[in-house]
Amino acid sequence: MPTELNNTTTTDSQQVNGKSTPIRDYVGTLVGESTSQEFRLAVNHESIREQDIIAVDAEFRSTDGGQKEKIRVWAKVKRIERINPLFPTEAGHELAATQTSPFDTVLSLSREMVTAVCQVLGTEPIEGDSKGKLNQLRYPAQPASSAYRPIDSDIKRVVLGDLQTKQNRAVDLATLANRPNVDVAVDGHKLVTRHLAILAMTGAGKSVTSRRIIEELAKKNYPIVIFDPHGDYTGLVDVAELRGKVKRYYAQFPVFDEDSDTVARIISTLGYELSPTMLGLFSDVFEAAKSFYGTDADAESRKEKAEWLSQRLGNENIRKYGIKQDMWLIANLAMAGKLSVKEANDGNPTKAQKLQDWGWGQILNYDKTVARTLCGIAKRTFSAAKVLQRMQETNRKVAKQAEPLPQDRTELVKYGQISVVSLAGYSGDFQATIYSLIADEIFEKKVQNDLKLPVLFVLEEAHNFVPSSANTPAESRSITTTKQIAQEGRKFGIGLVLISQRPSRLDETTLAMCNSYIIMRMMNPADQNFIRKVIESLGADDAKLLPDLDVGEAILSGQFINFPVLVKIKQPQSKGEREEKDAFEALEAARKE
Amino acid sequence: MNMTQEKFASEEGVKQDLQRQPSIMLKLAENALQVAESLRGNYFSNTAKFIAALRGAMAREENPIFKKRKVENADWSFFQGETVAFVDGGIGQIEISSQVPVLLRVGSYIVKTGERNLAEREKFGYYPVIIGDLEGGSKERPDFTDIIRITAELLGGLSVLENNERLNVLMFHGPLVYTVHFYMGHTPFTEGDIDKLLSQYGAKGTRGREIKEAFLKQAFEEIYPKMTRNYVEWNEKRIFEPLSFMAYLLRLIITEAKKKNALVIGIVERATKYSEFSKNYLLERVFQGLRKKNNIDFFNNMFGRKDLRDPETLLNKLGYTDSIFMSLLLEPEEYSEVWTMTKQYEFFSKRSVSLPNSSLVSEVDYSPLQSGPFGFPKILGSYLKVGDNIEPIRVETFAELGDKQMEESVKRVYRYSKLLPQYGFPVGLDIADKFAHVPDWLTRAYSNLIKHHLGVSLQSGEINDAEMRRVLIQTIYMTHRDWLFRPKS
Repeated sequence: MPTELNNTTTTDSQQVNGKSTPIRDYVGTLVGESTSQEFRLAVNHESIREQDIIAVDAEFRSTDGGQKEKIRVWAKVKRIERINPLFPTEAGHELAATQTSPFDTVLSLSREMVTAVCQVLGTEPIEGDSKGKLNQLRYPAQPASSAYRPIDSDIKRVVLGDLQTKQNRAVDLATLANRPNVDVAVDGHKLVTRHLAILAMTGAGKSVTSRRIIEELAKKNYPIVIFDPHGDYTGLVDVAELRGKVKRYYAQFPVFDEDSDTVARIISTLGYELSPTMLGLFSDVFEAAKSFYGTDADAESRKEKAEWLSQRLGNENIRKYGIKQDMWLIANLAMAGKLSVKEANDGNPTKAQKLQDWGWGQILNYDKTVARTLCGIAKRTFSAAKVLQRMQETNRKVAKQAEPLPQDRTELVKYGQISVVSLAGYSGDFQATIYSLIADEIFEKKVQNDLKLPVLFVLEEAHNFVPSSANTPAESRSITTTKQIAQEGRKFGIGLVLISQRPSRLDETTLAMCNSYIIMRMMNPADQNFIRKVIESLGADDAKLLPDLDVGEAILSGQFINFPVLVKIKQPQSKGEREEKDAFEALEAARKE
Repeated sequence: MNMTQEKFASEEGVKQDLQRQPSIMLKLAENALQVAESLRGNYFSNTAKFIAALRGAMAREENPIFKKRKVENADWSFFQGETVAFVDGGIGQIEISSQVPVLLRVGSYIVKTGERNLAEREKFGYYPVIIGDLEGGSKERPDFTDIIRITAELLGGLSVLENNERLNVLMFHGPLVYTVHFYMGHTPFTEGDIDKLLSQYGAKGTRGREIKEAFLKQAFEEIYPKMTRNYVEWNEKRIFEPLSFMAYLLRLIITEAKKKNALVIGIVERATKYSEFSKNYLLERVFQGLRKKNNIDFFNNMFGRKDLRDPETLLNKLGYTDSIFMSLLLEPEEYSEVWTMTKQYEFFSKRSVSLPNSSLVSEVDYSPLQSGPFGFPKILGSYLKVGDNIEPIRVETFAELGDKQMEESVKRVYRYSKLLPQYGFPVGLDIADKFAHVPDWLTRAYSNLIKHHLGVSLQSGEINDAEMRRVLIQTIYMTHRDWLFRPKS
């Protein structure tokens, strides 16, 4: 219930533990035109700041024409205007030209008029308990009314809204930017089911914010899968409260899960263009490699094949490490095929026959020209395999103590588990492909009801996974996957958190399907304009704040908060990879080594 | 003469100067259209020739025709620690068929230069404030609002002087003394009117009563007997003749200023038709010189006329004013020689005056107010040019406060005006003007209130007199303009 007010005094107080505590602070008086959306206050100098939450009491007859009802009108200070009508601009220029302090002249400096333009947030009855729910104001507040700053507990009650009675859903995220004593919790249910976007320029605090959210959701045991392109979430494993809950995975690119065309394209994308003739033959090589590898049950015969291949190519490593479902196998097999075809054409088809037995159906029909083509495929595939291996090694290094991604991707979704899929080291297309494979499989399992638990996907650098337009098949696939989750995820218990520092590069439809937003500092005008266009709940005055927000400050808006509010995000307990060391300290440490 | 001075005193130099001063060009253009046809032909070039000649005569070492001085030692550093007051009056006139100025307030802005503490630095005040009807004054005259405003501003200035222990400068917006002979014949104010003006005077209000009683005493003993035979009736009615009361307040201001060693300054900007200095000094010297050289027809030859043989005719026929001459003779940061202004006191004469709420009409002789112990004070004037393309402003001081007043005043006026470089006017007066201005919403609100009360009176049948009812209806529903076109009964 809101604290009762008394309009006859400007600073009422109550006795608490023998001390007098102000019930409210007078901040200003309504002046000028007042509407049900906005009003202006003549305010005391420095009594108020932008984004402060204030209140005005009013008394209106109830809509059924009955008794008068006392209500409190809640409002937010959108902007503050300061003007000294007695200080002419030309005098300012003259002072600058002569380097004179205005205090040394006869100019007037004391008659500043400070006006706060306030946006009405809603109303609640003063008597009774609205549980923080705000009603629409349908009649303007009276000019000359006094506005005041309510006490912290009242503000908190209104900011939280009905979340007060649903504490299990509350996610403790931030404090009010102007009132560090007022905690701001958001509705976790809306967050995980109706998608969230965290948008900000580099260094504004996006990853810190998402880590905070993740840590809080983890306390509620919500399954989370994080697609981590830069190692921002490696520190989660070190948080004491999350011990045992965080599992890190490194991503091996599942070459054999793709079709031959895709793999051929990947080789080309990596810089080793396959000619049309090579492309025509590549599918044979690819299928042959798949057959060569066999199934999981063929472990014994695989050993034999590895031995053969090792001898064929004179490569000890094949015998030593065995053969895997990777690009090296395709390259090695292409080379082995080239040699065998050549021998076959020279009258010795033994090796080629072997390969045919192992699944390379057409090999005995190849002539020497094909052998040359196979050589070209082998060389290019070797080079691509090297690059891919480098990516995978980097990925594993960044992922630190990580496991390989499980074959069954639904293993990532477990009660109380945070699965961090490290994508560091891979190029954008690879990241998009890996993500699509995982997300598609999980979504499929959810649709089929084979996976019961809900899950929250966290997409860092989301503009790489769901860009506004697809330039590659990998991007196209990734967009399709994400859009589908954005549209239908709610039905099947899959939520999205899109995190991006380039929102104007995000797919507009997907972004618009997010119902909650955390918007942090943003300087790029294209991004600002884009956000204004897409996010209905972001007002023009709030949008103007974006370039001037501090690191860690954010505007929360959307369904997970009662009304748009400026907050300071609380620090998470974990640290990200890039935060761990000061660069210069690291330099000195490395020098000593 | 050096090269620059040569150019300055040439026709070409004058024309170039004119081009830099569009407001003067416009005035000359206007004049050119309004003067007699015979004068139009070469109006501009003849004016340029004339000014060039004046400039040349100005520069001669022996008997220069016009003296001017440069403002010196006028940096802000010279004026630190001074308490400066600016006074201006504002009137709000409601839109009803009468002409009563029901809203008047005089604003004052007092500032201490160099004071860093804002709370100590500045003070704003309204005094006096009148909301309501006055019994006295001749309401049917268009200058009724003027006498109210002038009286109120003098009271405001006096109040500022008396109620501030330390005051270095008091500046009024407008002349220190208006051409008051135009206000002869106004119905005197009643004591009730003056009470309205004096009610909030001073901290306790007693000083207001003192001023009132002191004036009435002097009026009965010394002033009124010299002005009218009905001085006894005037005394019984305790009425305040407007001009004598103004003169009284001016004398009080001078007395107080002497005590505080304060500069008291009047500032007149855009004095469009004023030509006293030109007539009595500048052109008088010109014609004197012409007569000595036996060249009395110099202007007649120049303009092809026969009547241009004295300053007044020249000024009237050619439309020249002080503003035009000073704009072209003074350079920025210069001020003219100081002269004693006539203020046309010589025009004080006799009038018939009606008394308020009475059928008595008195014959009044205003000439005792020309000078003397209860007459209007002598005023010194000078023109100051603040900037290149701005018309000079006229600075006025009280002769009784000494010659040094003008020199010190001009320095400050110059420096205060530099803060409004486009306008060339002391910024403090601009501040007081904005502060005193009666906002439209207040005027409208009060107008509506009056109409409401009149309407209530009509509807409740309180007014029985048919003629009064007719007047009231017109008052409520007609504007002043409508009133002029009312059907004649």
